[in-house]
Amino acid sequence: MSRASVELDFFGMEKRISANSRFPKFLHRQRSFRDIQSAISKINPQLLKSVIASGSANQQTPENGHQLDSKKSFSVPSTPKEELNPFPPLPVYSPLQRPALENPPQTAPLTIFYNGTVAVFDVPRDKAETILKLAQNGISKFVESTNQKQLLGTLDGDLPIARRKSLQMFLEKRKERLTSVSPYACKSVCRL
Amino acid sequence: MEEENQNSKSNRTNCSSSMSDVVLGCVMPYIHDPRDRDAVSLVCRRWYELDALTRKHITIAFCYTTSPDRLRRRFKHLESLKLKGKPRAAMFNLIPEDWGGFVTPWVNEIAESFNCLKSLHFRRMIVTDSDLEVLAKSRGRVLQVFKLDKCSGFSTDGLLHVGRLCRQLRTLFLEESSILEKDGYWLHELALNNTVLETLNLYMTDLNKVRFEDLELIAKNCRNLVSVKISDCEILDLVRFFHTAAALEEFCGGSFNDMPDKYSAVTFPQKLCRLGLTYMGKNEMPIVFPFASLLKKLDLLYALLDTEDHCLLIQKCFNLEVLETRNVIGDRGLEVLASSCRRLKRLRIELGADAQGMEDEEGVVSQRGLIALAQGCLELEYMAVYVSDITNVALEHIGAHLRNLNDFRLVLLDREERITDLPLDNGVRSLLRQCKKLRRFALYLRPGGLTDVGLGYIGQYSINVRWMLLRYVGESDEGLLEFSKGCPSLQKLEMRGCCFTESALARAVMQLTSLRYLWVQGYRASSSNPGRDLSAMVRPFWNIELIPPRKVVVVNQVGEDVVVEQPAHILAYYSLAGPRTDFPNSVVPLDLVGLVAT
Repeated sequence: MSRASVELDFFGMEKRISANSRFPKFLHRQRSFRDIQSAISKINPQLLKSVIASGSANQQTPENGHQLDSKKSFSVPSTPKEELNPFPPLPVYSPLQRPALENPPQTAPLTIFYNGTVAVFDVPRDKAETILKLAQNGISKFVESTNQKQLLGTLDGDLPIARRKSLQMFLEKRKERLTSVSPYACKSVCRL
Repeated sequence: MEEENQNSKSNRTNCSSSMSDVVLGCVMPYIHDPRDRDAVSLVCRRWYELDALTRKHITIAFCYTTSPDRLRRRFKHLESLKLKGKPRAAMFNLIPEDWGGFVTPWVNEIAESFNCLKSLHFRRMIVTDSDLEVLAKSRGRVLQVFKLDKCSGFSTDGLLHVGRLCRQLRTLFLEESSILEKDGYWLHELALNNTVLETLNLYMTDLNKVRFEDLELIAKNCRNLVSVKISDCEILDLVRFFHTAAALEEFCGGSFNDMPDKYSAVTFPQKLCRLGLTYMGKNEMPIVFPFASLLKKLDLLYALLDTEDHCLLIQKCFNLEVLETRNVIGDRGLEVLASSCRRLKRLRIELGADAQGMEDEEGVVSQRGLIALAQGCLELEYMAVYVSDITNVALEHIGAHLRNLNDFRLVLLDREERITDLPLDNGVRSLLRQCKKLRRFALYLRPGGLTDVGLGYIGQYSINVRWMLLRYVGESDEGLLEFSKGCPSLQKLEMRGCCFTESALARAVMQLTSLRYLWVQGYRASSSNPGRDLSAMVRPFWNIELIPPRKVVVVNQVGEDVVVEQPAHILAYYSLAGPRTDFPNSVVPLDLVGLVAT
């Protein structure tokens, strides 16, 4: 098993953010902890999955400010331990409410301990369950599919099942009908 | 007669048949199948000429494979023409709007030379108001069938010419076309000038300014009116129309905007057996019950019914032959369908909404529904389904029972993380082996859905399949190459999300003996020089085009506008007309000859 890491660069040590990085410059040291928290909570769990997978695949030693190969990484300074800290076997989900945090309702902090590093994310419940399920059900299988996805490049995200134009139009019109104030608003349009 | 025989015999140098031209001329008109006609025309020069003189209908499956000029030179006396333009993917918003498929050169040739043309069908092409004017003025007097099928680029001004001048029109078909609507006068013109209309189709065109009074007038004047499909128009406004159109057998469209109990007063024409009412909900559904048992075709694609409603309605339609609906029908609905509608021939299940709360949670289709269907509806010929889950056993059942299937399309949704039973190698093999009549086949999966072995099975067992659409099949180039050793009848191949390299694609093309058209989106492009490795398929008469990656705005699952980067497309096809000369900026012809030379 590799010594992988998921790290957060709280102190903005990592200046060499690659040009293609999708992350905003929230790693600037003047930013408050709270800002970092809320920014991290906006990270797509999909991204998180690939970070975990790429972490275990890349086998890099976590060092201060060391940029992992994958663009989708963040780093935090910490002392790596010799032993591995596995993920908690049970989905212990702690509904700690931190006061005065500008979190949107229904999200809570998800803390991940891994190989002597700590990462805290603010995610809604269903996303947290997804992440934990993934961790439980087999990273190795997941790594394979992630690698395959990386092979396919950005194919996966860019080739969702395309919907027929006519159905797309209908579904949008239906949404308008359901959300319009007066359900009989269309009446005037159809009659002349 | 004897003399004539002698003369014609001496004229024919290659033909060994002793049949005279007169006899042949009598027999020829009874040969309709295009493949038979194709065979006839290859026998000898004389037979070629006779075929050219007597062939009534031509379908040009892709408009850039030939030119208007060539068509005129061979089939001057053509009575019916069908032309197709944009790749199928255009129906799914994957092709740039201005991609091509312009009818103008064809319309100009038709106006000039095709004096016998009575029926014209343009599908997925770009039509302008000026084209419509030219057509109406030159052929309006004789045109009987006119179909603008999923076309775009014109407005109701162009339709005005059609309404005014095409007075012999039996069929006017505009379904799913993108039309700029300025007013409804064109339909009024049609109502005033036509007494022979049988089919009027404005389905899914968003033409809402048409007046129901004009529909009534058409119903009054055209006693043979048999099929009418319109856009949104309040059903209560159509009561008089339904009374007048006594011969009506098919109606689709309309909308329900008033209180449900008001609709109990609506009565439909007696012969109505094909129906699709837009926005029909559970409260309005009962108006169909009195004649549900007469229904042969039911379109619920644009209705507002949940799973339970589907079960209630379908149970009463035991003569149903065609059903189109969304996956809200669910496995339970399919079970009801299987037990109630034994005569079902065509089933299409489209994808409803993904977003939470927009569709019935019960509305998922899986192996359970498919197995029930296979056991109950043995006469099925066409089946297209979006499933959330699937097993090999389900496909084996389809293979075992549905021996009449000629068109099968399966899309595996990305919703569920885990699919019960992947890969589908064995199920696919079983299906293809047993459904020997299969001509069209689509398999839309996810990574891991079909191994290289499974892809090889498709090649091996799809003996009669002429068209295929594949997504996420196979694991590597090996699979594709194995696949391309088979598929002896495959003429048209469409693929999305392949893991195959350009050079494998090119080699596969060279191995597929019947292939005349290839469309691919999502493949492993050469990192250094995209397109370069396609050089293996450079050959005479084979055009290769690229639609480069582009950014498009799409509506995502939550209904927001998102910018998505769409990967490149490869389009390759045989053509007698040379490379295209009407490219918009969004399309790039691949100059591989140049690439190879450097």
